[in-house]
Amino acid sequence: VTSSTAEAAADAGIATTSGRPRRPGHGLATALLVLPGVLWLIALFLAPLAIIGVFSLGSVDPNGSISFANPGFGNYERALNPSFLTAFGRSIYYSFATTVLSLVIGYPVAYWISRYGGQRKILLLVLVMLPFWTSYLIRTYAWLIILRDDGVVNGLLMQTGLIESPLEFIGADVSVILGMTYGFLPFTILPLFVSIDRLDFNLVHAARDLYASGRGAFLNVTLPLTMPGIVAASLLTFIPALGDFVTPDMLGGAHTITIAKIVQIVFTTGHDWPYGAALGFVLMAITIAGTLIALRSLRREVIGTAA
Amino acid sequence: MTREIDGGMTFNEALELRLQEAGWTRREFLRRVAAVGAFAALSQLLIACRQPGSPTAAPSTAAETPAGSQAGQASTPPASTAPTPVPQPESELNVYNWSYYIGRDTREQFTAKYGIKVNYDKFPDENTQISQIRRDGRGGGYDVTYPASTWIPTFIQEGLIQKLDHSLIPNIKNLLPEWRDPAYDPGSEYSVPYSWWTTGYAWDPDKIPGDLTSWDALWDAAYTNRLSMLDDMRECFASGAFRLDLDPNTTDVAQLDQILAELEAQKPIVKRYTTDHIAAMLNGIVDIAHCWSGDWIQMTYDKPKIRYVIPTEGSIKGNDVFVVLSGAQHPIAAHLWIDFNLDAQISADNTNYIGYMGPNEAALPLLKKYIVDDPRINPPAEMLATLIELKYLPPDDNAKYLDRWTSLQAT
Repeated sequence: VTSSTAEAAADAGIATTSGRPRRPGHGLATALLVLPGVLWLIALFLAPLAIIGVFSLGSVDPNGSISFANPGFGNYERALNPSFLTAFGRSIYYSFATTVLSLVIGYPVAYWISRYGGQRKILLLVLVMLPFWTSYLIRTYAWLIILRDDGVVNGLLMQTGLIESPLEFIGADVSVILGMTYGFLPFTILPLFVSIDRLDFNLVHAARDLYASGRGAFLNVTLPLTMPGIVAASLLTFIPALGDFVTPDMLGGAHTITIAKIVQIVFTTGHDWPYGAALGFVLMAITIAGTLIALRSLRREVIGTAA
Repeated sequence: MTREIDGGMTFNEALELRLQEAGWTRREFLRRVAAVGAFAALSQLLIACRQPGSPTAAPSTAAETPAGSQAGQASTPPASTAPTPVPQPESELNVYNWSYYIGRDTREQFTAKYGIKVNYDKFPDENTQISQIRRDGRGGGYDVTYPASTWIPTFIQEGLIQKLDHSLIPNIKNLLPEWRDPAYDPGSEYSVPYSWWTTGYAWDPDKIPGDLTSWDALWDAAYTNRLSMLDDMRECFASGAFRLDLDPNTTDVAQLDQILAELEAQKPIVKRYTTDHIAAMLNGIVDIAHCWSGDWIQMTYDKPKIRYVIPTEGSIKGNDVFVVLSGAQHPIAAHLWIDFNLDAQISADNTNYIGYMGPNEAALPLLKKYIVDDPRINPPAEMLATLIELKYLPPDDNAKYLDRWTSLQAT
């Protein structure tokens, strides 16, 4: 149980304390193998991060370029604008709702593909990923067409006489959450599938043999053993959802503006890159802190007890 | 054209690009989709998206074989006795303009006349335009673009645009006298006016009967969720300033706070802040839209009943200009483009199609009556004098606006 849990967790991108067995004596080869990854991280993650960090201390000069004449933390003071809490709260609300909905919809799908997909598993997984072949923008535009006042949903509801006048979906929280859930669902299903597929179903059978009900076996065996997958899926959904501004912008309106959209406004309308960089840094710090805290408690509960 | 949405593009820009690849404009897209129905349209889109890119290829930023007048002359036999030779234009031109901001076949006519291929890219909003041309500090690979005149002093200071050679733009004589020596660019050294606008709002009289005249209409709770405001920081602050009888170019913090309070009071009734208000009005998403004069003309092509007013409290006017970017690789063709667009007939074609008034005197007799005679599109001099131009804000003042605008958006 321990090893399969740890493996599943490792596969799903979660670090476990147990880790893989060390092989002393392969220092150089290991270093060489790791090198490209490290270089990649330095060039494409740490270096840009450092640049953003430096930018955030500067200011805009009259020519529109970034000046470091008076470096300081003024941009960070601006980033702590109390009005932003509303937008940040909205981001968390949308991301949380999206994550919960994606888990509720995605778990049965992943479970079904894993248990009953048979030889068509690959095909079914490809189908899950199929939407990625079309631009997210185009797909969100499709939702706009489906949900708008004279759209498909309102047309159907009015034809069947359920409503008199069209419901205003566009601009409301519900269409934003719907659009985001649609967009992030594949990110939820894939880690869940990996985790469920790794589950040794003999354990479930054993539980049934020991007179556990179907529900009991699921709640006491299947669910705890696939918890690492659920954690991974939640993170892979929640964190990108937190940065989404396209969906709230397209399907929402004046009252669905998220904190990511504020960052975008600062960069585009404001032409103020240093301020945008500072705002981005603050958000990143909050996200990382939140994730670490969540992971720590989850690890203790989920992986810790299993080990 | 495989740039991705998170590559620093706004989603509008990305959408525009995507639709451009498919060879469509956004309105065509919306219209088709509405007409054919969601599923049919999507399958169409799938097909369209797989087709190879349309002729609007991205301008190449790589250095080409030395084009331009010098090279052209150098390769011809050294005829030192000849009079000043006409410079040889390049074979291509990279133009960067707003959507729906040029006559229907101006590009084709230009190519037919000069044999110069026009690579024509569109931007959906000013922010996109400015960030693209500032990308390398020299115009981002474009030769000609159409910024608002207020940017000109900044662009000159930045070295983003180049001095114009008036000998290549003889049609500049067609301009109305009042446009020949603008305050933002004395002597038209760096820019040539293209078109100008007023700001106001449009409404659908089927949904909102009666005459609207005041900015108050945009604060009327009767239109809750039926109103769109321009996704334009300066225009929104200006609308609040006019309501409070303040200067729309104010940089006074106390006054800006007053305006912010006004805009915060308005926000509950606003459906969206957008520059896609033409589609929003035509699709019935909103019934009243804060917009520019030409947008209204374009709305009336589909819904002739739609009305427009310049509010009586005062409003904004402004103009867009042609500039040649400092990094232009086809400077001669760029000058020819400007000259061509100043031709009486071409200028009239542009104005008649886009609905924004032009500064071209020679084109006046060729303009459609509903444009040239409409005081909202072509206000008489005394009215024009009451309209105010938005001034460029230096970074410190811009920050005052930006901090309040982001607060407004966030809440």
